[in-house]
Amino acid sequence: MNAIVSRRILGSSISDTPEYFRYPDEIRDRFVATDDIEFRDGSRVTATEIWDYLTTVGPVKFPNLYDLSSLYGNRLSQDVTLPTTLKHNYLLMTMHDRMTRARAQGHPIVFVQGGQSVDPYYAAGAIALRPASTGIWARRQREGLSRNQEELEGRADKQKAYNAISFEVCNSAGYEHIQEGTVPADMVAPFTALRCSDVSYGTEAHRHGPRAKEVKLLLVDYPLDHQKDKDWSIRYFADNLRRLTRNIDELTGRTTTEDDLAREIKLHNEGRRLSIELADLWWSADQPPTNGKDRRDLFQLGGMELHGDPVASLSILREARRVIEQRVKDRHLAKGVQKDAARLFVCGSCVFPNDYRTEEAGGIIVGNDNHWSDITTLVDESGEPYHELARAVLSYPYEQPLKDRARWTVEQIKKSRTDGVLFLYKWGCNTQSAIARLLVDEIKAQTGIHTIIIEDDMTRTQTEQLQNRVNAFIEMVS
Amino acid sequence: MALKTLDIIARKLVERPAVLASERAAGAKVVGFQGYTLPEEVILALGLIPVRIGLGGSDRLVELGGRYISTKNCVYVRETVGLFADNTDPYIVNGDLFAFDATCLQAYRTAEVIQYYFNNGVIILGVPRNFYLPEAHTYFTAELSNFVGKLEAFSGVTLTPERLADAIKVYDDIRTEILAIYDYQAVLNPVISWEQVYDVIQAGFVLDRREYLDLLRALHAELRALQGEPVVGRHADEARLFISGSVIPPGDKKLITIIQEQGGRIVGDDLWTGLIPHLGVVIAEPTLEALAYAYLHRTPHGALPYLDLETDGRIKRLKSLIQHYQANGVVYHTLRYCDPYTFKAKETKDILEKFGVPLLELHTEYAGSDIEAIRTRIEAFIEMIKVKAELGEAA
Ligand code: SF4
Ligand code: SF4
Repeated sequence: MNAIVSRRILGSSISDTPEYFRYPDEIRDRFVATDDIEFRDGSRVTATEIWDYLTTVGPVKFPNLYDLSSLYGNRLSQDVTLPTTLKHNYLLMTMHDRMTRARAQGHPIVFVQGGQSVDPYYAAGAIALRPASTGIWARRQREGLSRNQEELEGRADKQKAYNAISFEVCNSAGYEHIQEGTVPADMVAPFTALRCSDVSYGTEAHRHGPRAKEVKLLLVDYPLDHQKDKDWSIRYFADNLRRLTRNIDELTGRTTTEDDLAREIKLHNEGRRLSIELADLWWSADQPPTNGKDRRDLFQLGGMELHGDPVASLSILREARRVIEQRVKDRHLAKGVQKDAARLFVCGSCVFPNDYRTEEAGGIIVGNDNHWSDITTLVDESGEPYHELARAVLSYPYEQPLKDRARWTVEQIKKSRTDGVLFLYKWGCNTQSAIARLLVDEIKAQTGIHTIIIEDDMTRTQTEQLQNRVNAFIEMVS
Repeated sequence: MALKTLDIIARKLVERPAVLASERAAGAKVVGFQGYTLPEEVILALGLIPVRIGLGGSDRLVELGGRYISTKNCVYVRETVGLFADNTDPYIVNGDLFAFDATCLQAYRTAEVIQYYFNNGVIILGVPRNFYLPEAHTYFTAELSNFVGKLEAFSGVTLTPERLADAIKVYDDIRTEILAIYDYQAVLNPVISWEQVYDVIQAGFVLDRREYLDLLRALHAELRALQGEPVVGRHADEARLFISGSVIPPGDKKLITIIQEQGGRIVGDDLWTGLIPHLGVVIAEPTLEALAYAYLHRTPHGALPYLDLETDGRIKRLKSLIQHYQANGVVYHTLRYCDPYTFKAKETKDILEKFGVPLLELHTEYAGSDIEAIRTRIEAFIEMIKVKAELGEAA
């Protein structure tokens, strides 16, 4: 099927001839002079190699990624003078090759979910991937597809999960990729009850899939209700973390020590710290120093899980810290962003508006709570590592009783000088939707800021409606 | 044939709100609770009056509740929030404190919403999801002890082993009587229907527990006098249905009525508003450790994930109940947005198919708009089961 036909199938209003993006040759010299990316196995890739990949290999293998339509929320950022965005894209494009190689080198693949840190998985020698990265790995195995072809294939994949479980629930647990074997995960082992209950149900669903016997299942149980203030909750969660590393050890044949965990925490703390510093810099600027998509990618790198290689993520973060600092000094305004853009903060899990279209409408997303709450939580490096990690994880602001969560969210809103708050949730997302009104009411009470709650449909066929509401909200807060 | 005790229970239910109000006026305190892993014994042991809150079937209350919690929550929790917003239900009005557990995270969120918008005193009991592990037992014991501490402060009474032992005895006896009575509805020519037994179980949500136990004993004696010891048996052409899935709380008769209208006979359930909380509760001694252990090792609620299909206690229990009550079809009822049970629907269907029992999944809400669609599906399902039963008999 060619792109023209698939566009007609999707009923999209975009023009029938896709335009493709290319990295301009003029930036080459400047880019190749930037830092290498260093990997966990000690290898490196130079900026020249990255440039060659992005300009010769990438466009052939993954034309869909180079599609220029702004309807495509994940299209490559055109802020070509930001070297870290190119490097980030390189890492995502090479996901399949890199992960396949790492697994062959003895690193088990463990599926986790969002909003959690991944220190213990890496301490035990595994690679922790959440749904976004798992999906990227699966998609990077299909070459030469247009964006619409890729989207259709993605929907066909998701249909497999709907058939095996139900279309009435959140199917975010990578069932279709893991049970079909597209992503050869060795284990599914997320934290329970972080953000929602469906992470647990999704994990359980793997027990009846075709690869049920091959994929180890485990839940790292996250106790709720004032958990950070209860010694017994911390001990329980720490025990669960120990069980996790023991179970990964059964796959690798090695023994994870407390020192291994302590080392990994140190590494991940560095990532978290850099992300926090980056955010402070970004938020302190008079005008947005990057577009919203690059901001989100950079802030999220502190989670150290997006690329399946924390050392590589750290490489990019270190460089990004310097670049953003310079941009702020230069009062750089990112391409595509309006000078007086309405600054929006997004609350809620697993759904995000299209950054590009938000910017076209005169807004910019300056922050989000989910998967930022874990990044902003540093682990104390001085104590017993399992205990300290447990203590930190149980204190994620996003998972606290409502008033505490709201207090932290308001802090982020103030720091980022937000003009309006969007609470977004997916259809079928019960646990987040349940407190959407409550949280925005509390934020409103504390700040007087404009808020809106928007529901996104599960199959992402109504993104236009979501964006229309976001755009109308921008008009209101501008 | 009218059973005398059923009339008494019905009368007691009518009188209960006024009785509660007068007990409160005399200084008693009422704890309204909702949860699936919440040992009610501790409430009674501290001299508090336990009332299991929550209704179903009211579109109006669902709509009202949805204004505070979202429209993407199950109708049961929306109606629970609606009850607080409406504030006319006698068990809400008479509640002095409300307790929720975190078995189902939607119920946990309900507690937060109620606390925030209606300013009610709310306490929460954390529940481990890895409930089968020894460390989960340690955690849950500590959590229960913390929960009891809050109840002690509220009641001004200290929990002693004697108090706990007394309360456990009351509940053990209630469980024993319910189980015995339940068999009578599944015999060949019953004098009590499943629906009547189900109503009797739900009367226990609000009645004084000791008085309730006496009523159960009286009902049991009445049934024994009429039918001797129950022997579960089935007619050849019967569509004997088992109901599984999400809760069917007091007030929600939609599905039950349709099944009966279509000639189906309900003979069993594993609902958390029905039989299942009363099964397999073995409290070894009057301690919080033992109580915690017993509650964690009951049949697991659908919201508690279990990762090994072969040893899943919920599936085992389902199969054994189907066999015991000689059901030949399962109606698997899921409330819209009840993820704990919706996630398991397809899997349960596949498992029961191998077990030789067909399963009909019905996804429903409290609105009346789907009644015709449900009726048609149930009619076809019952017809299929009857044909299958007759063919099986002929073979
Ligand atoms: S969309 Fe909601 S239910 Fe689904 S994984 Fe995200 S938080 Fe959980
Ligand atoms: S188990 Fe289902 S019916 Fe019960 S509170 Fe949870 S979502 Fe609602």
